[in-house]
Amino acid sequence: MDSKNALLQVKDLRTYFHTEDGIVKAVDGVTFDVYSGETLGIVGESGCGKSVTSLSVMRLLDEKGEIAGGKIIFEGRDVMAIPESQMMKIRGNDMAMIFQEPMTALNPVFTVGFQIMEAILLHQDVNKEQARTMAIDMLRKVGIPEPEKRVDEYPHELSGGMRQRAMIAMALSCNPKLLFADEPTTALDVTIQAQILELMKSLQEQYGMALVMITHDLGVIAEMAQRVVVMYAGKVVEYAEVLTLFKKPRHPYTWGLMNAIPKLDEDKEVLYNIPGVVPDPLDFPDGCRFNTRCPLATDKCRKEEPPLVEVEENHTSACWYVDKLVEMIKVSRAGEGA
Amino acid sequence: MAVKRKSEFRKIMKKYWKNGTAVLGTCLLVFFIIVAVFAPQIAGVNEMGNNYQIPRVSWSSKPIAPTSEHPFGVIGGRDIFYGVVWGTRTAFRLGLIITGFSALIGVAIGSISAYFGGWVDEILMRIVDIFLSIPFLVAAMVMTTILGKGLDKVIIALIIFGWMSTARLIRGNILQAREEQYVLAAKALGQKDWKIIMKHILPNTIFPVVVQMSMRIGSYVITAAGLSFLGVGAEPGYADWGTILSYSRNWMTMLNESWFAIVFPGTAMVLFVLAWNLVGDALRDIFDPRMRS
Repeated sequence: MDSKNALLQVKDLRTYFHTEDGIVKAVDGVTFDVYSGETLGIVGESGCGKSVTSLSVMRLLDEKGEIAGGKIIFEGRDVMAIPESQMMKIRGNDMAMIFQEPMTALNPVFTVGFQIMEAILLHQDVNKEQARTMAIDMLRKVGIPEPEKRVDEYPHELSGGMRQRAMIAMALSCNPKLLFADEPTTALDVTIQAQILELMKSLQEQYGMALVMITHDLGVIAEMAQRVVVMYAGKVVEYAEVLTLFKKPRHPYTWGLMNAIPKLDEDKEVLYNIPGVVPDPLDFPDGCRFNTRCPLATDKCRKEEPPLVEVEENHTSACWYVDKLVEMIKVSRAGEGA
Repeated sequence: MAVKRKSEFRKIMKKYWKNGTAVLGTCLLVFFIIVAVFAPQIAGVNEMGNNYQIPRVSWSSKPIAPTSEHPFGVIGGRDIFYGVVWGTRTAFRLGLIITGFSALIGVAIGSISAYFGGWVDEILMRIVDIFLSIPFLVAAMVMTTILGKGLDKVIIALIIFGWMSTARLIRGNILQAREEQYVLAAKALGQKDWKIIMKHILPNTIFPVVVQMSMRIGSYVITAAGLSFLGVGAEPGYADWGTILSYSRNWMTMLNESWFAIVFPGTAMVLFVLAWNLVGDALRDIFDPRMRS
């Protein structure tokens, strides 16, 4: 794909947080494109910088956070150069976001209708009556039964799934071109998760918006995304189309994440997990940041940082030993087959 | 739409009236308001001048037990019934003015502190600490001694030493609300900063202050009465519950002759405090939608 037609281009984004203990490099050189109408998945463990990436693009970092480098280009405009007053018009109208915790992302003292109307009134030239009708319409679209009644209810009167639907209604009320969904189903039951994902898919088709799906769940990625960015410790480690990624993972971290998913036909006592934890962002290891947990790590990995290189068309990976990994995956899959 | 709103309001009111303590509190408060408004009709006026001066009915300082002419009795030559009835007005004035102004100062200082943070916060909070470190009653007594006698001086003293807890309450609430995801969500929708403060942060932080205020109206009346009782409050003869109590100070060893000077203003005070506390509880239930279910 030609990156010139991209709705959003993120190039070598670096977001640092200045804390009392030092500089936290939450996002450290992240590059990806998002095209209209597609879904890009960003996957990784907690603390990999997935959410910070989306907050950076929307310029919603708190006072400690700072975009230290890179470029963000939305519809051909440099986001970092847009004045804040303009940015407010873009937020909600062109770019919107839905959050993980539907309970805390809705203001408890206002009705859901009021909050959806607030978003509509902010960006559209309509009066209160019209906004209310639109809010009810929106609630109906996201599959909330009896929207005329629900519109006057408070967040605590709705179930978790309903609240997330209301959140989605709020984010989509102004028909944004780009929607960030930050772990939108993590706080929900599995059955509700499936419903919400289905809903987001159909709304995406209806509105033609681009969706950036941030999650730690490869299952959600497989369900939703066309292309995937795998992040580890603030860096992109692998970037591929979704089928390619699942068929041919080319980074040990991606392979580890896939192995950690339990399979239905296997009877294991203990599930596989990647040994160790994400390193402290104040003190990343030298070389490849995954070297502390990687089964293939050598001295080279501990000294030199692997660049993100193309392993095949539209598939990049940042690993010194892609060949060894391919070999390992072959052996492992052959073992499963036997 | 209006119909919908109305029914919501009606639902709340229905729940409110089902809550026994809320009804009791409201009834008491309404009763006090009626007494305050109709004080001239209930207890008459002072023909000698200022209505807030309890008229002298006797030149003897000996207490006179309740009679049909003086239903609550007489102490220090003053009619207790007149004092209690007109004292209701004083109580409202004391409570509302002190609470209103100290809450205003507290909300202003607390919000500035939370909003700006950093060294502004540090300085303001240390000032709060200094004010809090002085025992309230002692501080108020010293203030009234410096400012001189009179109810207005009591009001000023209590405002000066009454704003700190509100400041702390609102600061803490704002700091907490600022981190809430709905604030971030509102920002993500492109809402302006000051609108976020007005619409999302303040409504989530101001209710505890309103509830605290209503409960403190009663307690300030008690404090003011305490100051009057100690002789640093209102001038002698002022229609104030504490002033009447202070007359009974000299007769404490002869309760059988002076009980009415304690019981009537004392009962008024207790019921006044109770009324505001119950209303405060009920207000919390009304304001906070989370408490409604």
